[in-house]
Amino acid sequence: MSAPIYLDHAATTPVRPEVLDAMLPFYGPRFGNPSSMHRWGRDARTALDEARERVARCLGANADEICFTSGGTEADNIAILGAWRARAHEGRNAIVTSPIEHKAVLGAVHQAAKEGADERLCEVSKDGVVERDSFASLVRNDTAIASIMWINNEIGTIQPIAELAQLAKSSGALFHTDGVQAFGKVAIDAKAIPFDVLSVSGHKIGAPKGIGAVFIRRGTIIEPLFHGGEQDRGRRPGTENVAATIGFARAAELAVAEREEEVARLERLRNRLEEAILARVPDAVIHGRGAAHRAPHILNVSVAGTDSESMLMALDLRGIACSAGSACQSGSVNPSHVLAAMGVSMEIASAAIRMSLGSLTTDASIERVADVYPALVAKARGVAPVAG
Amino acid sequence: MKERVLVAMSGGVDSSVAAAMLVEQGYDVVGATMKLFCHDGDLPDRPCCSLDSVNDARRVCQSLGVPHYVLNLESAFGRDVVDDFVHEYANGRTPIPCVRCNTFTKFRDLLVKADAIDATWIATGHYARTVDGVLHRGLDRTKDQSYFLWGIDRSVLRRMLLPVGAQTKVETRAVAHRLGLEVIAEKTESQDICFVPDGDHTKIIRQRLGDDAPALANGPFILSNGSTVGSHDGFARFTIGQRRGLPGGFREPMFVVDIRPRDRAVVIGPREELLGRGVVARSVNWLVDAPAVGSHVSIQIRHRAAPAAAEIVRIDRDEIELALDEPVAAITPGQSLVMYDGDRVLGGGLIERGMRASLPILAA
Repeated sequence: MSAPIYLDHAATTPVRPEVLDAMLPFYGPRFGNPSSMHRWGRDARTALDEARERVARCLGANADEICFTSGGTEADNIAILGAWRARAHEGRNAIVTSPIEHKAVLGAVHQAAKEGADERLCEVSKDGVVERDSFASLVRNDTAIASIMWINNEIGTIQPIAELAQLAKSSGALFHTDGVQAFGKVAIDAKAIPFDVLSVSGHKIGAPKGIGAVFIRRGTIIEPLFHGGEQDRGRRPGTENVAATIGFARAAELAVAEREEEVARLERLRNRLEEAILARVPDAVIHGRGAAHRAPHILNVSVAGTDSESMLMALDLRGIACSAGSACQSGSVNPSHVLAAMGVSMEIASAAIRMSLGSLTTDASIERVADVYPALVAKARGVAPVAG
Repeated sequence: MKERVLVAMSGGVDSSVAAAMLVEQGYDVVGATMKLFCHDGDLPDRPCCSLDSVNDARRVCQSLGVPHYVLNLESAFGRDVVDDFVHEYANGRTPIPCVRCNTFTKFRDLLVKADAIDATWIATGHYARTVDGVLHRGLDRTKDQSYFLWGIDRSVLRRMLLPVGAQTKVETRAVAHRLGLEVIAEKTESQDICFVPDGDHTKIIRQRLGDDAPALANGPFILSNGSTVGSHDGFARFTIGQRRGLPGGFREPMFVVDIRPRDRAVVIGPREELLGRGVVARSVNWLVDAPAVGSHVSIQIRHRAAPAAAEIVRIDRDEIELALDEPVAAITPGQSLVMYDGDRVLGGGLIERGMRASLPILAA
């Protein structure tokens, strides 16, 4: 078997060597607790403050607007539950979101609904883009927060965040966006786009798992989820994961610096893969293809007469790692709530394969996948045998 | 090139050892655990009930150095197995979901996955054997599971590997220890139906059919002469031959001898009313060329029942009627009738009804 191909960068990415190097001293001599008053503490505190400033710069934010979290899920929970709990008693009991959000957002919204929130889901188009009018009609002066992801993690559609944020603001609602897939793929500038809260994650951009951040615009009141110490202004008590924040800062700087070039490279590779698949399987459905703006690194494809599970196994056994839908804790594939919300038929939804490109993706790997995937499709449809 | 085999792994000792034995025998083993149900209906994304089993199967595969996948067969299993289970109880019958799981889920749906990964073989941890494309009882008679396998498509037999079927359970556990599979070596086996883990099948009936399901509503206990002798709280709680939960005050031990869902009645009677001299089964499936009417076979009407001698008196498409040499107790609609010739499994069907020992049997 030829070298395995990792085509699941939307799930996670390898830690970059530069990131690891930057982190190592904090697992060694620079091990201090940033809350300690002595020299070890001061040293760690300095590094942590710098990491916060560096991440802030990458997002066009001020350092005090950056709160480090354990990752995207925690950031989303702080945003949704924190904002709703702070505002529900002011007559703003509603939360508006979309049915294609990541489960971290939907789960937090469902939790708020259990606690009494009015949950409202706006409509999305068949291409997986939030319907502006539907969103506008749901966000009213009773809305605590509206949350729409920047880039959909399953199909890669880019949502009109600037416009939606503006709409939410005009009703006095806070606007949160899950930027986990967007960081490093689109320009994120808190000065230019009026979101109030933004979630980002480290391990999607070459930092380790277990680190992320939530941007909270100055003046925005968010109830903390955790209680205890005074770390991070009380927004997120708990001794900071100093090494990971350093790694995250380094990864963020690299992602921002390389963004335009990497986006162009991934877009070219993604288009090449997409064209090759469509050439050999003309009836393949590329989800979100009709959206006005698409992320460069996600290709979600379905072919009638195949099923995700079988294809994923067959691809994996040929050394090609992809994913489908959202994984359940047991590791099995569940039908995608995103495709269901877009009105995709069960037959097509249950055939979806997400290929996500990134740092490990090369021309050669794309050529191989462009070869193997259509061959597996042909085999599943009973057309021809497959080598490899 | 090594031949690939997809092994259905539940996380239990039998299928784990099956996978390990196949690795030893030189097969290219791929493990798969089927996710078949999820109890937390209103929270579909919560951890699934069978998470620990999945983890055990995954750990076994890790230690064997083979890939492991979790396959979501929930909707098909719900349709083919759970719905039928509920439907059968609602009709006053006593189903065996394991038969349908083998027929539809393991040896049909899972086989499709095996095809998708170019697996020549499909393997399970069943105590049964295939010999030259014919299904045989497991060598360990106390563990024999051939009774549950009569419904599978005959052509699948030639692709089945049942590695533990030629050994005893004690030997299987010994293999587990020898191969270092300590995670699962001493796991106890569950007698429960997998999707009814606390042993109360009425919960799932209530869940599916609602609180006011007739099968779970009050009804009369009657004698075969029609007289009412008490009342019960749902005929789905009873099966033919059952003694527990019946009204007392009779001179001889009483048994459930019939269930009449239309009047929600549970008919009770003395042991002689439980005896059947003939049996009719439907949905018959043959694992060998169908024998002729007049053939003598050995039949089993429930798991672990002693085989009984019988003669085939009628075959009518997928329906069969047999006459028993000696009366048999508690022929239960919904259970399986499996026909054997010694150790060879000839075929089987779903019991439609038994015929009283006292009534004459009409030949076709």
